[in-house]
Amino acid sequence: MGPRNGPPSEEFRVTVKVLKTAVRMLPAVLAIVPLLCIAQQERANPLHGDAEAAEAGRGVFRIRCRPCHGIDAKGGRGPDLTTGNYLSGNRDEDLFGVIADGVSGSDMAAYKERMPEETIWSIISYIRMKADGGEVPITGDSATGEKLFWEKARCGGCHRIDGRGGRLGPDLSTVGRARSVSHLRESMTDPNADFTRGYQTLTVVTLDGGKIEGIEKNHDNFSAQLMDAQENFHSYLSSEVRSIKREVRSLMPAYGGSLSEREIDDLLAYLVSLGR
Amino acid sequence: MKTSLAPATRAARVLASIVLLATLAVTGAFGAEPITNERLLAAQTDSENWLMYGKGYSAWRYSELADIDTSNVKNLTPQWIFQNGVEGKGQTTPLVNDGLMYVTGPKNHAWALDLLTGRPTWHYSSTVPKEARGCCGQPNRGFAALGDRLFKVNYEGTLVALDRKTGEPLWETFLADYKMGFSATGAPLLVKNMVVVGIAGAEFGTRDFLDAYDMETGKQVWRFWTIPEPGDPGGDTWGKDKKDNKDNWKRGGGSTWTTGTYDPELNLIYWGTGNPGPDMDGDVRPGDNLYTCSIIALDADTGELKWHYQFTPHDVHDWDAVADPVLVDLTIEGKPVKAVIQANRNGFFYALDRTNGKFLFARAYTEVDWADGIGMDGRPILIPGKEPTEDGNKACPGLGGGHNWHPTAYSPQTGLYYFDSTNGCQLFYKTKQGFVEGQWYQASTTDRITSEPSSSSIIAVDPTTGETKWNFELIGGSASGLLATAGGLVFGGDGEGNFMAIDAKAGKPIWRFQTGGSVRGAPISYRFRGKQYIAIAAGSALLTFALPE
Repeated sequence: MGPRNGPPSEEFRVTVKVLKTAVRMLPAVLAIVPLLCIAQQERANPLHGDAEAAEAGRGVFRIRCRPCHGIDAKGGRGPDLTTGNYLSGNRDEDLFGVIADGVSGSDMAAYKERMPEETIWSIISYIRMKADGGEVPITGDSATGEKLFWEKARCGGCHRIDGRGGRLGPDLSTVGRARSVSHLRESMTDPNADFTRGYQTLTVVTLDGGKIEGIEKNHDNFSAQLMDAQENFHSYLSSEVRSIKREVRSLMPAYGGSLSEREIDDLLAYLVSLGR
Repeated sequence: MKTSLAPATRAARVLASIVLLATLAVTGAFGAEPITNERLLAAQTDSENWLMYGKGYSAWRYSELADIDTSNVKNLTPQWIFQNGVEGKGQTTPLVNDGLMYVTGPKNHAWALDLLTGRPTWHYSSTVPKEARGCCGQPNRGFAALGDRLFKVNYEGTLVALDRKTGEPLWETFLADYKMGFSATGAPLLVKNMVVVGIAGAEFGTRDFLDAYDMETGKQVWRFWTIPEPGDPGGDTWGKDKKDNKDNWKRGGGSTWTTGTYDPELNLIYWGTGNPGPDMDGDVRPGDNLYTCSIIALDADTGELKWHYQFTPHDVHDWDAVADPVLVDLTIEGKPVKAVIQANRNGFFYALDRTNGKFLFARAYTEVDWADGIGMDGRPILIPGKEPTEDGNKACPGLGGGHNWHPTAYSPQTGLYYFDSTNGCQLFYKTKQGFVEGQWYQASTTDRITSEPSSSSIIAVDPTTGETKWNFELIGGSASGLLATAGGLVFGGDGEGNFMAIDAKAGKPIWRFQTGGSVRGAPISYRFRGKQYIAIAAGSALLTFALPE
């Protein structure tokens, strides 16, 4: 550093200049702050309370959102949207962000390139109209459910959570934010009702009568590839086996008979907690 | 009944081909032979080339080449593969002329490829506006060609003329506003120096049309609105009184998103039209809703409507009538008839008299639960209670048909008509939906029936009776467009990437190749350096096949 009684350094002069500029601009900055607040408020739904907009949103919802969230927004493969509580936040702008940008790690796609902002807001108006706060209560114990998952129910033999478990069935690491509560319950008690595409059962009978059953990886007129319960891959040409049969059913057993209602509730509580 | 050129004309074409081959062998030059109206009129029997979308004006998609046949097709091998690097499934029918192949791709891309190597000699592209959000992806189904020009639509609703030798745009004409939901994906049809071209948009409540443009200037020659105004013929099919009919015709749809056919003797252009808008809520448009879900026959010079036939009056299931309107002379119940045939999305195969639109017969080719046949007046005998409802109502076939848009093939050798079909049912929902310009206006949707998975197949029908001769079930999802050849073969693909040759008489696959991409284009055949080739778009690639040396 230079002597303190000498002429001010270049660094000092720049600092003073910056401070003076900041002081001069202070009124302008203070004037902008309320504007910023207003801008923040403008992220609220501009169509809030607009019944016509909600009706228009309903029309779009039934086209675009119904496949996952159900025709009445009560959920299916995607979460129930009538509860009023949402994983990504309950503010209008949180819902807007989810629809516009999608949700990483789930099936929720980004729609900002597919529909204008006004349409997204109209969908939010519809969702708000449908939301009655009637969230399905989770009565089970998550810790007990986790123990059941890995031990008695042996779900981990086929499903994977955070790198642990089997690979035959879908990875469930974030299933709590990807599926509705009712869909998760149904998946345990009636796995064939609406199982994840790409997990149908394939049964191959070889020329010597051997039978191999597994999850279909590919199947067309000329060949089939599948993974069996031991996670072994098999590949066959149709011309080299006796038969190949595709069944629209899951290899997963229905747990309604082997677990008590209480145990199903506990497992459900654990699954719902995953990825939240 | 086979249609053929006069022997003298055929001999002249063979001689011209020999001279051309000799020239190529000496000079290696290619791409010079001009495409004339005379060549377009004879395109069906020009086996060396593939000059228009449907092979010829009748859209037979039949190649007279027979070097590749049922006995040797097992030896078919890939010759070259062109990877275009553009995201999206190729749905194009390539054109071939004099050593070059002209291929369109998704998102406003196109190329000219050298037939010897598959290497591109030019690449055309044009940015699709971000706001263009039309229905159903951004595919393109092919070029039309005449003289030294190629013609294609761009997705945002324009028609562009390109220099065939450089790919440079010569003119671009506005068809319709993409901000209203219009889009363009079909291959144009060249008729008498006019570029005839359709449009899509019915899912957005647009009023659609068929246009003709001067090939030199790009100026409009005529326009036929597929939805008539109140007061015009057909205008009273959109509501019984003025109150009902106030504005719904302006949102009536009737898209023309595929390619039609042309009968030069009758001077008529035949084109299929799509669904009325909104798709599933028919309450807002009482009446038959002409000219949706119809074949329209227009005077080629003026665009004047000569006749129409509506397959599905007051459609509420999105059963577009956009499948190829194939022109073929048939003998039906002992009488010769100039017919136009269509495998309609509503599940019925139809034959009409193409001179006057008279209904001849119809027969179901897949599961149908909405009509108990088609009456002799040409109207469906409706089964009540099949309309969409708020809670969903089952109907068969589903939204996509039946047979949808994929190009079909007719073989004069077997006398059979070949097309693909999705077989099954869906739940149809209806929702009251207000119209907002530029927004989806479908009102409302469909759903699969989990316990009733649909299947797909390639079907061969006797066009004189509608009888299904064979049905080859595809395990790997829906099929591509088809090609029939004089080698006794039908070529086609599936959604799992298989491209296959099927015995045209027996309906059994006898060769296949895994292309690595969903096969959504339509195959063509041509001869290059004395050898028959088969070409097909699959995924983002264009593949060619031939027999080994």
